[in-house]
Amino acid sequence: MKFATITMFVTLAFAIITTITFATPEKGLEIAIEADSRDKGFGDSTAQITMILMDKYGQSTERTIRNRTFEGDNEGDKSLVIFDSPGDVRGTAFLSHTKKSDSDDQWLYLPALKRVKRIASSNKAGPFMGSEFSYEDIASQEVEKYTYNFLRDEELNGLDCFVVEYDPVDPKSGYKRQIVWMDKSEYRVHKIDFYDRKDALLKTLTYEDYKQYLDKFWRSNRLVMINHQTGKKTELLFADWKFRTGMTERDFEKSALKRTR
Amino acid sequence: MITYCASSFAIFILLVQPAFAGKVNGTLSSRLDFYPDHSKGTASEGRSAEVKIDAFHDFDENRIVGELIFRWDEKDSGRRITEARQAYFRSPFAGFDVFVGNRQEFWGKAESKNVVDVINQSDAAANEGKSGKLGAPSISAEGYLDIGDLQLWYISNFREKTFNDSDAHPSNGVPVSSAQYARKDGKDADDFAVRLSSFAGDWDLAGSVFYGTARDPILSLNSNGSALNPYYALQKSIGFEAQYTGNVTLLKWESLHGTQSSLIGTHDFTAAVVGFEYTYYGPFETIWDIGLIGEIQHDDRPQAAANQFGVAGIRLVVNDIADSNFLFLASVDRKTDQSFVSLEASRRVNDVTSVKLTSQFYNARSATSAFGQLSDDDAITLTLNMFF
Repeated sequence: MKFATITMFVTLAFAIITTITFATPEKGLEIAIEADSRDKGFGDSTAQITMILMDKYGQSTERTIRNRTFEGDNEGDKSLVIFDSPGDVRGTAFLSHTKKSDSDDQWLYLPALKRVKRIASSNKAGPFMGSEFSYEDIASQEVEKYTYNFLRDEELNGLDCFVVEYDPVDPKSGYKRQIVWMDKSEYRVHKIDFYDRKDALLKTLTYEDYKQYLDKFWRSNRLVMINHQTGKKTELLFADWKFRTGMTERDFEKSALKRTR
Repeated sequence: MITYCASSFAIFILLVQPAFAGKVNGTLSSRLDFYPDHSKGTASEGRSAEVKIDAFHDFDENRIVGELIFRWDEKDSGRRITEARQAYFRSPFAGFDVFVGNRQEFWGKAESKNVVDVINQSDAAANEGKSGKLGAPSISAEGYLDIGDLQLWYISNFREKTFNDSDAHPSNGVPVSSAQYARKDGKDADDFAVRLSSFAGDWDLAGSVFYGTARDPILSLNSNGSALNPYYALQKSIGFEAQYTGNVTLLKWESLHGTQSSLIGTHDFTAAVVGFEYTYYGPFETIWDIGLIGEIQHDDRPQAAANQFGVAGIRLVVNDIADSNFLFLASVDRKTDQSFVSLEASRRVNDVTSVKLTSQFYNARSATSAFGQLSDDDAITLTLNMFF
């Protein structure tokens, strides 16, 4: 009896340990790889973005930006963000070369000085344009930037979803973990809960109004980020998506920042 | 002549073209200056306004760019200007982008001073810091090669540095007379420059060569002390730039080495700025960025305010919705005991308005030192920018 209990305990413990250390990370990684591979081949894309920043009293202010992305082969994606409003940042451009396992390379173009300035990319947790999105939230998501844990299956808004924990590899990330809801049929992210370094719930991001482009690539046209700790909210409204526009890698080099309009 | 025609034509096209495949933007700036330490007979305050029109027009692979400045100042005629800071055609040719007309181009890495930034003349009278420049009438080409970006410059006409009136600020109280040149063609002498810039990993590097008229004149009092004579030397120089971008630390190097030929002969010179910027992201549980800046400036040319300055600064980026920013810089020359302190604060008021407060203070033990002559030029400036 005693032996049977011990055997059962050991078996159960082994089952739990293997589930935690092997099975769930593997499944989590598999899900992340599948989601990544489903978005491969888009080439390049452009979109118009309206950013609406709301304080806890509901007062809002808007910014308009343009986004251009170039899909990377071996390295991460390259992206260019151009600010159109408010007026004082008009013409400013932000170029990022995402790296899969290293720090991203980032440059800022300041139109008044005609100056291209290399900036440190460790400010991942800092707010992007005073919004509730941090630099790491808007950076291109690469599989290598996280370790994964599959948590459970769960229904969200009528969709069967995987719930996966993403743990940032980079210690400079503002997050201890992210809980991601991804639908099982198309591997689209619908919701992310962000936990800060003290493991307190910091923000929730929801992805709405998904549309499919080129019969393959899903893009959410409304992202809503709510900061639970400050009560502030930021919405990103995407419009005018274009894919495979004929941009080349040269359009995403440091020298291209000066030519950007 | 070609560059003058090109810039005039670029402006004409941009002004008359009714259907733009481009954009036109404007900025209206109004500015109030206060001079708390002004000496007798000089301005105690200043009022000025500036309209800036930015426009571009694309056709096929080509682009026309215009950036026109109209600045009015109530008292200081030195600050009044109508300027085509940029007015050029850009067209691809043989793998290069070729530009003809007035252009503005920035070279450099440092924060407090950019010794390698030789293309444009400074619109010093604007007192707008690094953005106050005059367009360089030029033909230039940029090629994007495997080893980096190559720029070739031919600058067809020299632009003289602008100066404030002698009873305005900053000024050392003596009117500036007409310029003299080391080169016999004077303003018509041609300048040439080449620069190659590249980056590898955490390093951004550039090297450049310049042959032409020095941008900064040597100022000397005339025999009866009634006027300052600007004398523009011939400069032959090479420049080096490097920036290391670490996680939180930027290391910067900028140096210019060469010869300068003037009335007192031909002399070697070195000008350099070396320094760092260290940033604390989110200190004290805030979303601020606090940057600590340290730089050493060396310049052994006669134009320099001192041989060496130590510069210390703090940058605060609040990361709020209004984009509030502060920059404090102090430059100290211990040898002649003079210093310069500046503070800049800016924030957005609404989508179309921003406000900036700057202050500049000069201190010097000796009245004849560079900053001693500017001792009544301490200024507090409020600028309101409206964007349309």
